[in-house]
Amino acid sequence: MTDAVAIRNAQLSFGETAALDGVSLAIPQGTCFGIVGESGSGKTTLMRAILGLQKLDQGEIRILGNPLVHSRAALKQRASFIQPIFQDPAASLSPRSRIRTLMNEVGTVLREPHAVMHERLRVILNRLGLPQSVIDKYPHEISGGQARRVAIARALLMKPSILIADEPTAGLDVSVQGDLLNLLQDIRRSQNITLVVISHNLAIVRLIAENAVVMRAGKVVEGGEVGSLFGSPQDAYTRDLLAAWPSIAAANTKR
Amino acid sequence: MSGLVATLKRICSERDGRLGLAFTLAILVFALVGPLVSPDPNAIDIKARFAPPELTHLLGTDNLGRDLLARTSVGTRYALTLAVMIVVISSVIGSLIGIVAGIASGWVDRAVTAAFDIVNAFPPLILAFALIALYGKGSATFVLLVTVVFIPQFGRMARARAQTLRTLSFIEAERMLAVHPVTIVVRHYLPNVAGPIIVLASMNLPVVIAFEASLSFLGFGVQPPKSSLGTLIKDGFVSINQSWWPTVAAALVLAIATLGATLLGEALRRVIDPKNAVVR
Amino acid sequence: MAISLRNLSVDYSLPQGTAHALRGVSLDIQKGELLGLVGESGSGKSTVAFALMGLLANNARVTSGTATIDGKSFDLTKRNATASLRGRGMAMIFQDPMLSLNPVFTIGTQLCEVLRRRAPGSDRKTRVAMAEDALDKVKLGNPRRRMGQYPHELSGGMRQRVVIAMALLSEPALLIADEPTTALDVTVEAQIMREIIGLRDRIGCAVLLITHSLGLVTEYCDRLSVLYAGERLESGTVKEVQRQPGHPYTRMLFDCEVPIDRERHADASENRFTVIAGDLPDPRRRPPGCIFNGRCDVSFEACATVNPDDYPVGKEAQHSARCLRLLTP
Repeated sequence: MTDAVAIRNAQLSFGETAALDGVSLAIPQGTCFGIVGESGSGKTTLMRAILGLQKLDQGEIRILGNPLVHSRAALKQRASFIQPIFQDPAASLSPRSRIRTLMNEVGTVLREPHAVMHERLRVILNRLGLPQSVIDKYPHEISGGQARRVAIARALLMKPSILIADEPTAGLDVSVQGDLLNLLQDIRRSQNITLVVISHNLAIVRLIAENAVVMRAGKVVEGGEVGSLFGSPQDAYTRDLLAAWPSIAAANTKR
Repeated sequence: MSGLVATLKRICSERDGRLGLAFTLAILVFALVGPLVSPDPNAIDIKARFAPPELTHLLGTDNLGRDLLARTSVGTRYALTLAVMIVVISSVIGSLIGIVAGIASGWVDRAVTAAFDIVNAFPPLILAFALIALYGKGSATFVLLVTVVFIPQFGRMARARAQTLRTLSFIEAERMLAVHPVTIVVRHYLPNVAGPIIVLASMNLPVVIAFEASLSFLGFGVQPPKSSLGTLIKDGFVSINQSWWPTVAAALVLAIATLGATLLGEALRRVIDPKNAVVR
Repeated sequence: MAISLRNLSVDYSLPQGTAHALRGVSLDIQKGELLGLVGESGSGKSTVAFALMGLLANNARVTSGTATIDGKSFDLTKRNATASLRGRGMAMIFQDPMLSLNPVFTIGTQLCEVLRRRAPGSDRKTRVAMAEDALDKVKLGNPRRRMGQYPHELSGGMRQRVVIAMALLSEPALLIADEPTTALDVTVEAQIMREIIGLRDRIGCAVLLITHSLGLVTEYCDRLSVLYAGERLESGTVKEVQRQPGHPYTRMLFDCEVPIDRERHADASENRFTVIAGDLPDPRRRPPGCIFNGRCDVSFEACATVNPDDYPVGKEAQHSARCLRLLTP
């Protein structure tokens, strides 16, 4: 089966700094893939390149086998394959539009009769635990948690086969991050969506992803199946990263 | 609507806001109501010329015995109409051009910025004379001139705002949904640019009023038989040796109008964007 | 000599009403001890720090609270009660080091300024030497060069080191660190925490570490206090609280943490995460009974009406929690 996302030798420099330096990776369909790294590793730039928000200097990206081209027609086509979940979901909802308007835009883009689109929306809102009345509200009138789910609902409304989540748990209290992660797991399983998670949180990526890559200074340092990547890392940087995370073992030795 | 009420309340919560609102409302009332309660502005009564304020002529009379209350009222109305029209047209056109430049970047942006710079390079008065030479004196030329002079101001602000908005995730989300670019501009950029533009418009209003008065005073703006505050000041100035009252009456109204609009504009700016508040 | 905070209560007046951000919070920190104040959003943990430092916003009011630092008592209900301690008895490190660093002055100038307040009699040469020494102590390479640099020339981690150096120079009795590593990468976090501990070792000050991360606290702190919705729910040594959490919230919080070596299903999509269901109570209206009732998984009837006192947990001294379950043996 074609890979959901295939990247070959991506190169991108901002001035003298190489944000992406020869990055290659392949994300199989229907899996969860983690792109981990610290700040400045290039993981955010890579995400933006995959979404088509950033042009590469060199290299090729293929989404479901189709080369990523920066034309309006290609963007329209891609929009129904791949959707982002931005880091601050509330900020990804246009502040002066009602939720209903934002959802209607999806219907317009997909050229779907509104009745059909609204029925799909009803089902999605139910699954996400959102009240139907949320569509009459403005983004600032709903809670942060609800805004997060509304943003996900809109992404799902586009019927994507690939979802890219940018730091989905950043800034969330531990008591609520589990909720979002469980939701992502549910969506992934029920819709058989390819989920790409960009995160600095290795502990979480280890639990939700099948495969992952570790990035540093624009390069892929190490990658592979998560069990062996995090269980027996080959690269010194990967080992350092893992060692810095709180672990049960460390807590035990302290006692 | 509730936003409007809330904004008004906040404006009234500080002294300058109250003053600005009071002055502006007073001028508005004056402009609208004046002619209803006073004699015909064109009625000539040589016997009563240069009369100081009295019961029949609340603001006195000018060199032809015409009632000054009526004349300044008509003049104010005309001056305000012109100013509002100019500000609205230039802000809308300026915003649209600015947003397009802010989003498009590349050569479109450079061309627009260059055009703005060229227009701004001309001192307004010189530009005025050039346009008058081309199109003749009169209100139409004046409106054209001031609109052109103010478009770059609004354009620059809209462009800067659009450039910031462009990086925000909700705009990127809209792009990722492949929503049509025109829809994005109208539904998502315009409402978020409107705030600072409205503030700028309200602060430019007194500037336009004063500019029109200056041009008309020099004889290049509004032409008789129409009268505006500037022409009234000019007429009064010509016969200032006989009576200072006509000049003062019109100048006083001009001062209150511009002061009121300025205070109101600043209060509005503080309300809409508290981060910009000037420390007093 | 210890640091002791008693019965701190802070209200914020907002357009929608008065929010009781902190209610009767008490803490004790021994000299040379690292106390971790753990709380999530809405717990009021930063408010504790600001109340101590006298940095509360204008719409905040301290309705009660006394702090005893180095034997001296301060009535925190008075504005600027602890002003005399700032830069001398107390120092604070913020999440954003740029809250302490002036972007238009060099590092050297700012370090020397701390010294001018701390050691007023010294001459410039001594101050510069002491400042360079401090930079060296926090392992900022090439101290002389750093003295002439501006904050924007340094990375986030380096800036935090400078701020720690500033704290080192002011030789406080109490160091308050408010989320000092939240904005930093995890590899840098470990280094900065080691610097803070180094500081504690050198000066012997008490350290109040404010954070939302239980993981951080269990790794670096001696004792911890758990804050929830403005109330202290549990206090004890890290060892004891980990071994036997006295309060259900503490236990659930530990369950929510994701360590790097947690057990993992072979099928990644099967892994589930713990959640604490429910929402924070409205800070304007405290519900009767226990503040955590409603989200607690082991509450019973009395929890809705009785506000628990502090009860001892286990046999260890100084481990207590506010939970009615501790009353029944």
